[in-house]
Amino acid sequence: MVNGAVLEVENLTRRFGSVIANDQVGLRIRPGEVVGLLGHNGAGKTTLVSQVVGLLRPDGGSIQVAGVDAIADPATARRCVALQAQSQAPIDGLTPRGAIEIAGRLRGMSRADARRAAEKIADELDIHEWFDRRARPDGGGLSGGVRRLTAFAMAAVAPVPLVILDEPTNDVDAARRRRLWDVVRRLGDDGAGVLLVTHNVVEAERVVDELVVLDHGTVVAAGSPSQLRGANDHHLRLELALHPHHPDPLTDIPVPVTRRVRASRRVLLTIDARHAEAAVAWATTLASEGRIEGYALGPVTLEDAYLAATGDAADAATTPEETAHV
Amino acid sequence: MSELTVSTSPVRVPTGVPPRIGHWTTYRTLLRWATAQVGAMLPLVIVVQALLAAGIIVGFGLLIPDIDTPTAQFLATGAPTVLLMVVGLVIVPQGVAQARTSGTYTYLRMLPVPRPLLLLADLTVWLLVALPSIAVAVIVAQLRYGFGYTFDWPLLVAAAVLIAVMATSVGYAIAVSLPPLLAQLVSQVLVFFVMLFSPVTFPAAQLPTWFQSVHDVLPFRPAADLLRAGLLTDAYSASWRDLVVLLVWCVVGLAVSIRALMRRG
Repeated sequence: MVNGAVLEVENLTRRFGSVIANDQVGLRIRPGEVVGLLGHNGAGKTTLVSQVVGLLRPDGGSIQVAGVDAIADPATARRCVALQAQSQAPIDGLTPRGAIEIAGRLRGMSRADARRAAEKIADELDIHEWFDRRARPDGGGLSGGVRRLTAFAMAAVAPVPLVILDEPTNDVDAARRRRLWDVVRRLGDDGAGVLLVTHNVVEAERVVDELVVLDHGTVVAAGSPSQLRGANDHHLRLELALHPHHPDPLTDIPVPVTRRVRASRRVLLTIDARHAEAAVAWATTLASEGRIEGYALGPVTLEDAYLAATGDAADAATTPEETAHV
Repeated sequence: MSELTVSTSPVRVPTGVPPRIGHWTTYRTLLRWATAQVGAMLPLVIVVQALLAAGIIVGFGLLIPDIDTPTAQFLATGAPTVLLMVVGLVIVPQGVAQARTSGTYTYLRMLPVPRPLLLLADLTVWLLVALPSIAVAVIVAQLRYGFGYTFDWPLLVAAAVLIAVMATSVGYAIAVSLPPLLAQLVSQVLVFFVMLFSPVTFPAAQLPTWFQSVHDVLPFRPAADLLRAGLLTDAYSASWRDLVVLLVWCVVGLAVSIRALMRRG
């Protein structure tokens, strides 16, 4: 690899008519790194992935996959990428075992290697119970969760420089979600670069090394989770739950606020730990006056930063203090 | 029980581009995949073919009172062509349109394989689905009219394969070029055109002259005549012109399909 990155995206731009789906997007994944690509529906995540695997041609910019120019030579680039798409993998008529072995064989594994690797990943994901059950075209045979895990295993079974996972945990139960994240972590430890496409911030925070937040086609934030939280040990998050029919702007905050995000009925305030006592006292008063339903004080989370960065909150953009920290 | 576990998993992922794998291995693996997908609906397809064969050979026969042997032969030897066209121009586009709607088509295009091999694997499977229809049609005709066939095996096999590939690739081309809903509509219209307005189960002489010339460049009459020459070799003969027309349609269908598979939007 030329520069050591398994994925290097620079100034990537793609338009659909007058809509700019990707606007000068930059992204870099090194071997062993798990990078989360966060964004709402329509933020441009799928458009970005589609260009990496050669389904869409960019209007501008460059994509290098394992040192290969993915725009000039999409076929070679595709050999370097294993992708779990957001839609289900077409495994009707196959068992999870058969599907995972086929995926391994298509990536150059020998029959025996593919069989062993399929067994191993079935162990890791604990799907042996359904391993030899056939998926029926009517959607029967295997549940959506098992189909999703099979699709994940198909992307993760063979060693490839870059693994792209698009919402891999949809429909998956909590215990196997944890197993899936363990495999994702293991892929990174084995030396693959992983691009995790999701809108589930809480889950992403646990596994990713780096995060890129897309909003309306533009990168609005990038960095490690702690960098993105924009906070350190001195910061806390005060979450206030507003009444459904009585949304209060809550402008009379008695302590300095470094970031304020409004997400539907919740107001998330990032405050300095020194002001915790005063803030709690204020929140208790609000609650006793019936202006809020309740409150909670806790560590700053990535969700706050994400919501602030994507301008999710109606009034976030009008609050000047938060922009400086994201 | 040890308190400390030190894991020293070696780095398993090679750096750089994974090597290209052989086309033959890729093709065989894709074929296994495609067979599983289509195999699930295979029994249904064969039942539909048998019913269609009966419908054309027995049902169309009822429209003609006191049917004589040459007419019965013409009708019965046209039926296999209708069945091949139904598989290629109706069932294949429906399958592909469904694959496009469900995301399967996109999924397959993201695989690390040369995309023409995807088409080749699909064509192979559809060929295996389509070819039994000839036997089905021959058996149904035998049961109904009881006339004898005079097979020209090499011609029959070559014509059957060519027609099945032509119909499948044209059907595939329709399905990948048009929006899924429109593709399904076009394929429905085509089947009526083949069954009722194409000189497949009746002689071309029954059509107006201008419409006969249209059918000289469409693939349906050439397909029917070629297959008929393979089934009743003492009464009908093959024409090179028909062969060329079919080959041209086949090449166009393949070219359009491959282009659509390779295209980046």
